[in-house]
Amino acid sequence: MTDNRTDIGVIADEYVLGLLDAADGLRVEANMERDPDLKAAVAASRERFLPLDDTAEAAIVGDDLWSRIEAGLPAQGSRTGAAHKPTANDNRPGGWRATALAAMVAAVILAVALSFNLMRTVEPLVVAVLVNEAGDVKAIVEDFGNEKAAVRLLTDFEVPEGKTIEVWTLPSAERGPVSLGLIDDARSVRLNGPSLPKPHDSQLYELTLEQAGGSPTGRPTGLILAKGFAKIAR
Amino acid sequence: MLMGSPPDDLTTALAACAKGDRTALRGIFDREAGRLVTVAERIVRRRDLAEEVVQESFIRIWTQAHQYQPDRGSARGWIYAIVRNRALNLLRDGKREYTVEDVEVLRERDQVDHVMAAWHQLDRTSRLHDCLGALDETKRRGILMAYIGGYSHGEIAGRLRIPLGTTKSWIRRGLSALRECMA
Repeated sequence: MTDNRTDIGVIADEYVLGLLDAADGLRVEANMERDPDLKAAVAASRERFLPLDDTAEAAIVGDDLWSRIEAGLPAQGSRTGAAHKPTANDNRPGGWRATALAAMVAAVILAVALSFNLMRTVEPLVVAVLVNEAGDVKAIVEDFGNEKAAVRLLTDFEVPEGKTIEVWTLPSAERGPVSLGLIDDARSVRLNGPSLPKPHDSQLYELTLEQAGGSPTGRPTGLILAKGFAKIAR
Repeated sequence: MLMGSPPDDLTTALAACAKGDRTALRGIFDREAGRLVTVAERIVRRRDLAEEVVQESFIRIWTQAHQYQPDRGSARGWIYAIVRNRALNLLRDGKREYTVEDVEVLRERDQVDHVMAAWHQLDRTSRLHDCLGALDETKRRGILMAYIGGYSHGEIAGRLRIPLGTTKSWIRRGLSALRECMA
């Protein structure tokens, strides 16, 4: 979406104004890190509109607000500390909010019902509903535990040229994230993954945007598109 | 164009935060928190939610201070962007809609008032004032509703009673005109 240089100004402005949807906003944030022009455009746009924030009259804030902030401050240097949910990679620590995970719980019910209808003959061992940072349901992973998993995309993902979507899971913290495979044309797929221990309750599944052919490091390196924790199908 | 203390103070404060200096964060709080609460309240419409936004934002400022670089714009712009993003995320979660006790009353009251009030308070000698002033009324209103009130394209279209597609393209054209005017 940033191919056309003249669009960068528009995208930056719409991002700064908050007019992009959550997924496009995340994409801008990710692209900004690689695209200095986009970064500069966002910075310039923020400066342009900042005088509007200066029109806000300062509210009187009590010390209790500061006390609440201070109570929640993690020590510096432990940025991915215990307060955060486990994540298969650390490229966006702390960006995922509890609300997104809460939204997921409700969605699990839907997903289990859905998978019951679709997979009547072969039951998945676990089902994970993957949400984006805003808590919107984006995909469902059904792991059958026999080196086969099905990924059902529930939304259109824009995959830039030279990129692909990679599916990850975290069987255990010791083992680290493992790739289940690639989704090349952003459509629902069945994957033949590596041999892994039986998927367990609350196992993490995640979709990231990687360079074509998959992550060069064998670990997730790109933007997290969606993630969620598995539930055992009953 | 920056008001208050020179931006260097905030840049220095962010660098100190990254090193674990809590008094530096307190300094940012003392200087900006009051205004940040108002900025958030313009979007989330409730004082308690606005304070929640500012609370979360300060923790984010603390944990991300090490990522701030001058190529991201002024430290002040960076801090305000964090608060605006948190407020917008809270809106997208639908919290404003669900927790407001009387949604109808809130909607009936002209919520666009506070957006236009901000416009009237905008520093008249600023470039932004001149350039926004040069836009058609509808384009100006749409841009102000988005930035100040956190309205989406759909909400702007509904309140200005223009089709969604038209709203999007008008705002885009307004933004382009603004960029050229301020370049």
